[in-house]
Amino acid sequence: MDLLNSYQNNYLIVFVFLCLGILLPIVALFLGKLLRPHKPEEAKYTTYESGIEPFHDSRIQFNVRYYIFALMFVIFDVETVFLYPWAVAYDKLGIFALIEMLIFVIMLAIGLIYAWKKKVLRWM
Amino acid sequence: MSLSGEMIAFILLSLVAIIGGILLINLTRVVHMVIALVFTFISVAGLYVLLSAEFLAAVQILIYSGAITIIMLFGIMLTRHNDTSEKTAGVWRKLLLIAGIAGFGLASYAGIYNLDIPVQETKLHEDNTRQIGMALYSDHMIPFELTSVLLLAALIGAIILAKKDDEKKEGEES
Repeated sequence: MDLLNSYQNNYLIVFVFLCLGILLPIVALFLGKLLRPHKPEEAKYTTYESGIEPFHDSRIQFNVRYYIFALMFVIFDVETVFLYPWAVAYDKLGIFALIEMLIFVIMLAIGLIYAWKKKVLRWM
Repeated sequence: MSLSGEMIAFILLSLVAIIGGILLINLTRVVHMVIALVFTFISVAGLYVLLSAEFLAAVQILIYSGAITIIMLFGIMLTRHNDTSEKTAGVWRKLLLIAGIAGFGLASYAGIYNLDIPVQETKLHEDNTRQIGMALYSDHMIPFELTSVLLLAALIGAIILAKKDDEKKEGEES
């Protein structure tokens, strides 16, 4: 029971850290808004004051290739998550778990080879 | 129901989770929606910490509020979104919705309040990751291997979908 209490008390520090991380940008931006003078002018809202007039929406559609890279990142991220408890408990698991993990990694390596063959990894 | 620190933490976290979910539906800018979603994910991770599932909380933050959010942002940037707000529903529909939500809340409260789950003395907070590893790679190895097949299917499916899109584009250009 003592251990449970100390476990929960340890997370108080995490909580305080999280609160600081959330509050810091909010407070900084709010104080900046309080302190700075507010004199809006038409010319101040242009992107470059003495350049080419912006003519298009700045948010454009991305290429679908970025999405594949993001998705592959997620999949190999999940693989890493599975590797982690295996590595921690490895000294008690033995050779059988090693073979299991090899099968797991080979399965995902097949996916990677497939992506390579399909020329997904190449940019053009 | 005593008001211990754990209870207060649970109430705060669940409030943040629910408010994040509601804001996700109600906000109009997509990027704001994603931030609300991140708040929901992080408070769910906090709930995992309260349940002594430390590893699961770390994974929740790593995968959900990191990777899945990035995927969603990419999805938003990939699609063409012309911001048009639909008109809100009428008064009667809102009343019906509130009645439905209240009914559901009352029903689940009545169902859950007297539910008695036998409490087991667990040691989950000691070496949480090692315990997960021991359980996953000895007792539950078949689901684990099936996970690899699932991930492989997801990877190949995504590649097939996206590559077909590319070939069509190339065909249009030539």
